[in-house]
Amino acid sequence: MSAFLTYLLNGLAVGCAIALIASGLVVIHRVTGVVNFAQGTFAVVAGLCTSSLLGLGFPHGASEVAAVLAATVAGLLTGLAAIGKPGVTPLSALIVTLGVGVLAYAVEIVLWGDQPRSAPGLAGAVTVAGARVQTQYLLVIGVTALTFVALALFFGRTYLGKALTACASNPYAARVVGIDTRRMGLLAFALGGLLGGIAGVLVTPLRPISFDTDVTLIVNGFAAAVFGALTRPVITLAGALLLGVAETMAAGYGYGSHQLEIALGLMLIVMIVQAGRRTTISEEPA
Amino acid sequence: MIRLVAGVLAAAVTLALPAVLDDSALAVYILLGLAAMVTVGVSLLMGYAGQVSLGQGAFYAVGAYTAALLALNGVPPLAGLVAAPVAAALFAVVIGLPLLRLRGHHLAFATLATQLILLSLAGQLEFTGGDIGLQAIPQFGVGSVEFGDAAAYAYLTWFGVAVVMLLTHNVITSRPGRALRALATSETAAASAGIPVGRYKLTVFALSAAFAGLAGGVYCFYTGYVAPGSFPVLISIQYIVMAVVGGLGTIWGAVAGAAAITLLVQGLDQLAGLPGMPSYAPSVLSYAVYALVLIVVVLFLPQGLVPALTGRLSRTRTDPPVETR
Repeated sequence: MSAFLTYLLNGLAVGCAIALIASGLVVIHRVTGVVNFAQGTFAVVAGLCTSSLLGLGFPHGASEVAAVLAATVAGLLTGLAAIGKPGVTPLSALIVTLGVGVLAYAVEIVLWGDQPRSAPGLAGAVTVAGARVQTQYLLVIGVTALTFVALALFFGRTYLGKALTACASNPYAARVVGIDTRRMGLLAFALGGLLGGIAGVLVTPLRPISFDTDVTLIVNGFAAAVFGALTRPVITLAGALLLGVAETMAAGYGYGSHQLEIALGLMLIVMIVQAGRRTTISEEPA
Repeated sequence: MIRLVAGVLAAAVTLALPAVLDDSALAVYILLGLAAMVTVGVSLLMGYAGQVSLGQGAFYAVGAYTAALLALNGVPPLAGLVAAPVAAALFAVVIGLPLLRLRGHHLAFATLATQLILLSLAGQLEFTGGDIGLQAIPQFGVGSVEFGDAAAYAYLTWFGVAVVMLLTHNVITSRPGRALRALATSETAAASAGIPVGRYKLTVFALSAAFAGLAGGVYCFYTGYVAPGSFPVLISIQYIVMAVVGGLGTIWGAVAGAAAITLLVQGLDQLAGLPGMPSYAPSVLSYAVYALVLIVVVLFLPQGLVPALTGRLSRTRTDPPVETR
């Protein structure tokens, strides 16, 4: 029973990290219509930055914040490449973000080499109802909860957040009332970078990060994001938690080598079911 | 007339090259031909049918593993080579039935996921040899004639390229080809005009998979071994880059794109191998080049090299560019 609880809490933490990646995808897709293949890259950049900064002797806290800022800048740069030029269709922009992800490989190998790197996180473990859980896992859950509350406040209570939502629901009307949709798109990319960066900083102490970890991260994140049809953050969060728990349980009870297949298979099934439910009229974007 | 002369000239050069190239250059020549074979399929799928596949490497792998397994179990190599595209096409039909209901970025992710699942399975299953893969695949041969040297494989490869190009040309100029262009712009409109959208999409998907499977079959006989590591996700991205650079929906563009990227990467490998370069130089250079070429071409030459050049030369082309989404 206590093993089950441990797996559950660990799974929730893994799911939270996935949720942060997925919410970045959702924010960017809602505002710009672009699916950002480079989303996993932001987490990798933040993770590698943290390990370097901590290695150089910078204190905890400052290193993590600096790493998240680096990921935010990476998000902004990706946005400039993907939607900076007017008239680029969302699918072309998708291919551009794919290119940015591969370009990041080159930069990351030059800066950090191709070996996985880790960073120290919160040490120690606590016992919750008879189950031992690493403190870092609890930190992941707490920070993710705070981030989602902050996101909800940002989108619901601030003018900037409402402007972003306006772009998401009707770009034309948003332009009519004087919102610069391109600038909002770039802001969404920066926000996506920020969310990816938080995920990366939180995950690095739990498992080593190397330049090509982004494939696993983006695949899991996208799997969660399609639960929410790439537009609904709360369902995305639920999907991510489900995915994290399912994967951790599978690993815990001896199917560890099939984690990836489980995530991918789940993603495929959800996408196909959703495609079947869509009506013909909404299938044709202008 | 100019087209005919150019075609004959290209064929003559293609046939003459294996006789004059040395072994290392021949290896590049063969890999170029294999990439061209796959890229023609990608170009057909993306440029004409408007479907994005980020998992073309999966079909390449299916073809290679099929031919390798058959050859290792005593089946004549020719039968193995024929089975490779057939198996890839069958696999495409099986996964295409559910997956082709998806569109745009969903389809892109689904095909990528298919390749990841396939590679992971190939790395774990017994009969595919796990992560080590299959080794000591016999040489290709027809009857008692064995393909010993690289020149023979070069001819085999480019014969395959010619077959693939001819097939694609015939598909494009036929009635189904026009139907494909129609469904790429609007599936609803195409369906209301009486085009069996689902069946045509599946057929093109299977055809492009068969091209990749054929290339995979030749590859496994030429190198003599296959492993999951031979088919990374990057290889699928590479085919997209080649198709986009050459110009989606043009047959010659696909070949030109494959040639341009293969030669560029080869040149960079030589550069990276020079003394004094750091050990990570080859991978960094190839990643950077793929990425930069892809980004620049998508943003600034959305029609690709060949249409941009021919458009500059003649300006008589009246048919509008195929719109892809």
